[in-house]
Amino acid sequence: MLDFDRATVELDALQRSAYAVAAEMTVDIRASGAEYTCTLFPRSPDADGDELKHRFRSEVNDQILRARIAKETEPLRNLIFALAFSQTGLVEADTETATEA
Amino acid sequence: MTSVIKLERSATTLPPHAWQLLPMRFHRLDANSVVLTNLVGEHVFVTPDELVSVADGTCADQELLARLRAAHVVQVPGETLPTELLAMKLRTRLRRLPDSTGLHLFVVTLRCEHTCRYCQVSRQSAAKSEFDMTEETAGRALQLAFRSPSPYLKIEFQGGEPLLNFPLVRWITTEAKRMNAGHGKDLAFVIATNLALLDDEILEFCAEQGIHISTSLDGPQDLHNGNRRRPGQDSWRQAVAGIRRVQQRLGPDRVSALMTTTEASLDRAAEIIGAYADLGLQAVFLRPISPYGFAIRDRGGANYDVERWLAFYAAGLDQIVELNRQGIPMVEIYASIIAKKMLTNADPGYVDLTSPSGIGIGALVYNYDGDIYASDEGRMLAEMGDHTFRLGNVHDSSYADVMLSDSLLDPLTESIALSAPMCTTCAFEPYCGADPVFHHATMGDFTGHKALSAFCRRNTGVFTLLLRKMRDDAYFRDLMWLWTR
Repeated sequence: MLDFDRATVELDALQRSAYAVAAEMTVDIRASGAEYTCTLFPRSPDADGDELKHRFRSEVNDQILRARIAKETEPLRNLIFALAFSQTGLVEADTETATEA
Repeated sequence: MTSVIKLERSATTLPPHAWQLLPMRFHRLDANSVVLTNLVGEHVFVTPDELVSVADGTCADQELLARLRAAHVVQVPGETLPTELLAMKLRTRLRRLPDSTGLHLFVVTLRCEHTCRYCQVSRQSAAKSEFDMTEETAGRALQLAFRSPSPYLKIEFQGGEPLLNFPLVRWITTEAKRMNAGHGKDLAFVIATNLALLDDEILEFCAEQGIHISTSLDGPQDLHNGNRRRPGQDSWRQAVAGIRRVQQRLGPDRVSALMTTTEASLDRAAEIIGAYADLGLQAVFLRPISPYGFAIRDRGGANYDVERWLAFYAAGLDQIVELNRQGIPMVEIYASIIAKKMLTNADPGYVDLTSPSGIGIGALVYNYDGDIYASDEGRMLAEMGDHTFRLGNVHDSSYADVMLSDSLLDPLTESIALSAPMCTTCAFEPYCGADPVFHHATMGDFTGHKALSAFCRRNTGVFTLLLRKMRDDAYFRDLMWLWTR
């Protein structure tokens, strides 16, 4: 079982982490008071409990960093995609491309 | 008077928090190394601490910051060039999209005289001509193929063994060239054959028409014949003799060979590559077996997991690098495809490593009976009774019916990597692809659960291997650059 402070860890990061480690363990996430409590269920009966906790905590930390980077760079990402697609000609593409002549 | 323009490198020093992050993702390669990739897959190796300091705005390493700026991972606020360049590179990577579909596979017969243990299709005996494509069906398929907006059309003859219906191969080639007079497309032909039936007439026709030969060679004789059975147990001898004949008559660049990895191959990477080198072949594609159709039967040879295949791949790659060091040129095809994605902005268009997926928009398959499939793997699934990827039939479907069918659009839209869980934050997304057929076949939906996906594990393993080798071995990095050409 692992507890995460709700003031510093987003539920989304926990859910993404649970998804990412699904080959090694399944994770039950519950909110209680100021914490999220994550219960780890190893897929292998031989799994080392401490190792699984480290693995999940590391994944959560990476997901937090990923979320921060994604949020910070989202406007630029949208700008780059807009610039890229504005000059593809796709918008004005021949509408007959996918229709019978 | 001589004017001298003096260029001085501006020694830009960035104080803390003086840069902003551009869209980037990271992947931990090992305990002390992280790879950062930008929106188009350009990459930089950093330490875990450096990653945090760059993200926090506290990095004081000016050399690192300069590298990150050069790789468009960070920029100085107010700069516009990095975003404009990233947009241009992104557009370059996606430029194939409006030009669908370039590859058209004609299954001219299901008949085959081989009984390969891993064959995915329900081959028919060599005498049953009711499993041959007719000229009428082929003509309808050609009409659809020429509706493609692609300026390039590659027609690949598949089977069964296509040389068992060589008259139709000849007819399609001639008819396609006649039709192309009014289209002006860049037209290419490939026969995927085991070469056992190659004769002078066929060879002469291939020479006249500029047809490329793609064949199967699983490695040394015992391994090849164990996988690829035919009366007389002489598949290897026929393939080797055929490769030599094609090399001599058409030229060494007009024949290529593919291998399929079975359990029996896993400890024999060096011998397999040696067999290719002995024949003067300069490229080998270390392919895992496809989990479709009859290949997944117990005796199909597919009883190994991703980790064992990755070990085989790594051993094979080491052998190929060693050959190159000795002056014997040899390319590993999968690594060369990925090299183009990692080191250039070109999209090699390899169907399994594109997103949106290459099904339908990268390749269409016309089965012997006129049924149209979104990919060859989709046809293999149909052989097992799953018709999910059947898009229509050449006799009653229009081009619009095929390209706008739910059978094509649903898997395409549901599997796009940029919006798939885990792929959205994966540093390898620019290198990888969406494979809705694989995930449908193995997991029951087009997207698949990436944490449990063998496709994801295999490709993540290959990307990690190639990046580590490029990080640690300057010779290998040079080789990867060479393979992008």
